[in-house]
Amino acid sequence: MEKMSEKQPFRILVVDDEKAIRMMLLDYLENKYEVDTAENGKAALELLESKKFDLVISDINMPGINGPELLFKIRSLYKGIKTALITAYNIDDYIRIAKDYCITNIIPKTVPFNFLELDSIINGLLTSNIFGLSRYLSENQMVLEKSLICSSKDGRELRESIVENFETKFGTSGDMKLILDEIITNAIYHAPVLEDGTEKYQEFSDITLEPDEYIQIEYGYDKEKYGVSITDYKGRLTKETVLYKIDRQIAGEGLLDDSGRGIHMSRLFADRMIINIESNKRTEVILINYFSNRYRGYKPLYINEL
Amino acid sequence: MNLLFTAGFVFVTAIVVLLVLYSRLQKKVEQLKQFHTYTERDVTFSDQIIISKRELETVFDAISELICIIDKNYRIVRVNKNYAVSVGIPIRSILNKHCYQVFKNRSRICDKCPAKETFKTANVATQKTVSYRCNDEVRYYELQTFPVFDETGGIIRVIERIRDVTEEKRFFEQLVRSEKLASIGIMTSGVAHEMNNPLSGISGIAVNLLQMPEKYGFNEKAVSRITMIADLASRATRIMNDLLHLSRKHDQANIKVNINTLLVKTVNAIHLEGITETEYQYDLENSLQPIDCDPSKIQQVIVNLVTNALQAIQEEKSRCESIGKEYKGLLQISSCRQKEKTVLITVSDNGIGVPEKNSSRIFDPFFSTRPTGQGTGLGLSISHKIIEEHGGKIFFERIDGLTRFSIKLPIERKYNV
Repeated sequence: MEKMSEKQPFRILVVDDEKAIRMMLLDYLENKYEVDTAENGKAALELLESKKFDLVISDINMPGINGPELLFKIRSLYKGIKTALITAYNIDDYIRIAKDYCITNIIPKTVPFNFLELDSIINGLLTSNIFGLSRYLSENQMVLEKSLICSSKDGRELRESIVENFETKFGTSGDMKLILDEIITNAIYHAPVLEDGTEKYQEFSDITLEPDEYIQIEYGYDKEKYGVSITDYKGRLTKETVLYKIDRQIAGEGLLDDSGRGIHMSRLFADRMIINIESNKRTEVILINYFSNRYRGYKPLYINEL
Repeated sequence: MNLLFTAGFVFVTAIVVLLVLYSRLQKKVEQLKQFHTYTERDVTFSDQIIISKRELETVFDAISELICIIDKNYRIVRVNKNYAVSVGIPIRSILNKHCYQVFKNRSRICDKCPAKETFKTANVATQKTVSYRCNDEVRYYELQTFPVFDETGGIIRVIERIRDVTEEKRFFEQLVRSEKLASIGIMTSGVAHEMNNPLSGISGIAVNLLQMPEKYGFNEKAVSRITMIADLASRATRIMNDLLHLSRKHDQANIKVNINTLLVKTVNAIHLEGITETEYQYDLENSLQPIDCDPSKIQQVIVNLVTNALQAIQEEKSRCESIGKEYKGLLQISSCRQKEKTVLITVSDNGIGVPEKNSSRIFDPFFSTRPTGQGTGLGLSISHKIIEEHGGKIFFERIDGLTRFSIKLPIERKYNV
């Protein structure tokens, strides 16, 4: 966000066959960005020829070339351009297409439309500043805590205290207990591996992590949501693996896979799951629940990889 | 249906033949009795006839349908046992009464009486459904009438075959209803998806207008009206979502799954504290047929049951610790084939158990014995719903000090609409 105020604003192209949606996004985004709109893929490609864009947001179902194909084509034509899909339909139905066209961000059209979330996602895509729970919390209302996990005992205790914290404050923690179990266990026991690729620690054993294996946990809330972020520095996830696993789980094929269930369950049980990956350096899983159910709708897909 | 009809026809023809034979035999017996010239040979012959008579009577009574034979005046000449049982009057009191009086409690012949037609035309006649009130319950019958001819070819009797079609009729009605519901469901989910797009536009624009009224030149009054638009769009969405939720059954995946693998994988994937101190016993039947199910849903149920069991074990453990009793948690998971087309899955634990007073409520939504915050109380009710949607059953019992949840799942999926 810092970049915009001083330098040229980022340029965004919105592609949607529904004029009202184009205008809605334009009205909101033009406060911060330079925005153009196109009503179909053809018009979008023409616009791209004459103008440089940093990000293209496209609807999925449009007459002519559809969203995924359009974005695939745009990325092959304009290196470094960022893309995201936006849809009113069930995103789960499009995960396979997303996988095939390597699309990692699908934004749901919720009712009411979630402009703040759109803001965070777009900002992440444009600035490559993707890490941290704080990016998804409202700046002036946010309460945020950070902790490190250095042993299995830490993991247990922190998990309990986060869940307890949420429960005393909000009267609920959703399914955070289950999800945290899953994600923290993954980070402690499955992320660190030996040179030969086998896992270093035995699941559920009492262990102390090496100094470079620590796991960072952030948890916090603002007026409309609460969330947790788990970052490990040993994870080897890639966006392709995540997409592959989620797709297999949704299709019911991944049932017998040894991994991937945790990611799928977390996506299922939390209102929002955001996965941020810096290749071979760190993996962050952000889980967010909204207090109100108005943004529940369909589960989005947010995977960022640097 | 055609086949059924033909089968029925053949069957009834057989009865007609039997009855004709029977009445002739009876005549013969009477004749023999009258002339009473009993020789050795005659006695054997009459014995045979009596045996045949009994056989025929047995066959007549063994027929599950109601059989009633009437004469030209619609008076009952003969009925089978089932007829008497159904109308609730002993056979002796039925004979010689009018059929319409006995069966329908009428004083005149019924409208559209098929027997009347059979007497007139000598054809087989059918009346599709006749309602009959029996102990405050309306039952439905299908009536078919067959002519019985004398030697000269005139009709002397009519046989009424009365078939109880109540269940059939109800099943059919249910089928029609569920098909209707299914198509409404499919339509609803299509409409709801389509509506989401314009609704998100309406509400999105309204939200923009509300957040930046000066940008659009709106005053306070306009803002208050636009708030209404936004609220209405949200309400429309809630309605759509409710409808979607109702029709979601049709979106369910349906995959053939090896339930044992699913059980082991799922149980292994549950990470809960104290799990290492608990003994796991598996009793899984080999070579179980794969079952039709939505695996992620079934997995959810297993996660629920196992998590509950482990929590119960945890609770029992701390209870025992506090009174200095030795305790080791035990979790048993079993699967076996039950009957032809059902698989039984059980999850049992020796944990703290379900108090008697709660046992009838555990499947109720929001019923939880755990402190507020620990568990929504929805786990078991969701499990219940999922298993019902699979056409199965879930129940719990206490056996040998173990709390056991059992799931019965049909191997082939039946949809519950």
